[in-house]
Amino acid sequence: MFIQQLINGISLGAIYCLITIGYSMVYGIMRLMNFAHGDVYIFGTFVSFMFMVTYKMNIFLACALGMLTGALLASFVEILAYRRLRHESRVISMITALGAGFIIQNGEEIFWGVELQRFPSVFPADTFTVLGLNVSTVQLFTLVFTFALLAAFHLFLTYAKTGKAILCLAQDITTTSLMGVPINRTVTIVYALGGFLGVVSGILYASAYNVISISMGFAGTIAAFTAAVFGGLGNLNGAIVGSLILGVTQSLAGAYVSTAFKDVISFGLLILILLVRPMGILGEKKVERV
Amino acid sequence: MAAQTRPWRWQFLFYPLILVGLLILPLVVTNEYVLRIMIMIWIYSVACLGYNFIMGFTGLLQFGHAAFYGIGAYTTGLLMTELGFSFWPALAAAAAVTFIFGILMGLPALRLRGDYICLVTLAFGEIFRVTMQGWQSFTHGQMGIVGIAPPSVFGFRIVSNFHFYYLGLAFVVTSFLFLTYVANSKIGRAATAIREDELAATCLGVNTAYYKVLCFSIGCTLAGVAGSFLAVFLSTIAPSNFTLGETVLMCIMVIVGGLGSLPGSILGAACLIFATEFFRQVYEYRLLIIGLIMVFVLLWHPQGIMGIRAWQRHEAEGGD
Repeated sequence: MFIQQLINGISLGAIYCLITIGYSMVYGIMRLMNFAHGDVYIFGTFVSFMFMVTYKMNIFLACALGMLTGALLASFVEILAYRRLRHESRVISMITALGAGFIIQNGEEIFWGVELQRFPSVFPADTFTVLGLNVSTVQLFTLVFTFALLAAFHLFLTYAKTGKAILCLAQDITTTSLMGVPINRTVTIVYALGGFLGVVSGILYASAYNVISISMGFAGTIAAFTAAVFGGLGNLNGAIVGSLILGVTQSLAGAYVSTAFKDVISFGLLILILLVRPMGILGEKKVERV
Repeated sequence: MAAQTRPWRWQFLFYPLILVGLLILPLVVTNEYVLRIMIMIWIYSVACLGYNFIMGFTGLLQFGHAAFYGIGAYTTGLLMTELGFSFWPALAAAAAVTFIFGILMGLPALRLRGDYICLVTLAFGEIFRVTMQGWQSFTHGQMGIVGIAPPSVFGFRIVSNFHFYYLGLAFVVTSFLFLTYVANSKIGRAATAIREDELAATCLGVNTAYYKVLCFSIGCTLAGVAGSFLAVFLSTIAPSNFTLGETVLMCIMVIVGGLGSLPGSILGAACLIFATEFFRQVYEYRLLIIGLIMVFVLLWHPQGIMGIRAWQRHEAEGGD
């Protein structure tokens, strides 16, 4: 039972990983709490859903179109709602982010309605038993997929020119721009990547639980925010660790205490962790400069 | 600071005139629906004034304001229905309880950087709401508290919307004057110093820890007072009145109105309430319209409608 829930938790955590990475990366560079992130990922997921169900398109093509939409929408929101406010107080862009989120939510409402809908299984639904534990193919695919994407992402950040530029931006925007890195383009790419990864996780989540609804958007934002803070805001390894902790906690709390209180328990744990380590688990202690 | 060095003569007439207008308004407009909207604006104004004091004056991020609003409402509701308190002692108790919870929540603020405190307060808000939902024996869960008696002022029972309008207006004016006084006192100056540069404030001998917690609690207390008023106005309160969505709404009101501007908070509350009510007719597009208003107001005027320009990380281009 315990190990079973642990496996469920890890696969849930893996899904959170992909949302959180996009969120945390934006935070690491812009120090922006991107409240539109969840709405972007669920919009992209809805687009794949639409192509899959309404237009009966090939599943992979539909997923790819959804991811593309997510990436485009995220960059569009950046250009429209954040770019001009980059030098203003951060709370301002937090609110335009919320506003952009509202607009996207309303779009979803108009296109796809507010009801919970059944999301088709992208992967063959099958369960096999290893050492007495049930592992579904969806979970297996989720883990493999997440791992492959994270590895690819890591390679991208380490070796690709744009990836290196992103890491530089996270350190110091002004200096990076002096080194000739095109700031606006790189920032847009960061948002696009975040949107892309978010939609991947949205599709994984929706096909793991076979549901899709608008409310998953804001819930995703909060989950990403929580996981990012667990691990240390802006720290990508921290985002992975934080997501796994969040997934496992929610899964265990849901199984042993009650599903109604699973968020309370993960939030309680979060407060405890922050009281002990105010900068998150992997966050670095920031020295305040004058 | 600019407001102190440059006396705005028109301001001295401006606010009394508005106040007179608002006092006459219910005598002219007798529509119950409009009065109800106005009362909701008063309630949100009081809560937003407190919110602005935390976020705009002290520079602390807060995402659990609805929880303090709820604590005030629940304290009042429970004291009045279970223990038979009358409104004024219940209001005082609500203010005291929210103040204490504000201190409890403000203490972690000492250890955490801005964005982490944001999540801790958000988590607190969610924990509060789920607890109120789940604790059947104490708060009646999802059903909430029903049958909260209307208040009375000097033996005069406040029952109709017309009466509540004036009581609400009195609350707003009192909170406004109180915060104006606090903002211009030692506390307010300390808050501004912390907002502008915490390290510099420490170097100048400001006890930043003390003032951060104090200012946070003052802001929360106003949310509690607003919640208390909400409880007697609606006479029924439930956990669904105090969701994260409420906090977000208040946050939008404060920022659209202008951080660091007390009249701005009232204006922001009025704008958002009017917008939500007005666009109720085009229900399908209301989020779209409100979202567009939020984005374009802030793109056009990043400091909000009436906000001060001082609060930003980068130096202002020229000027003062």
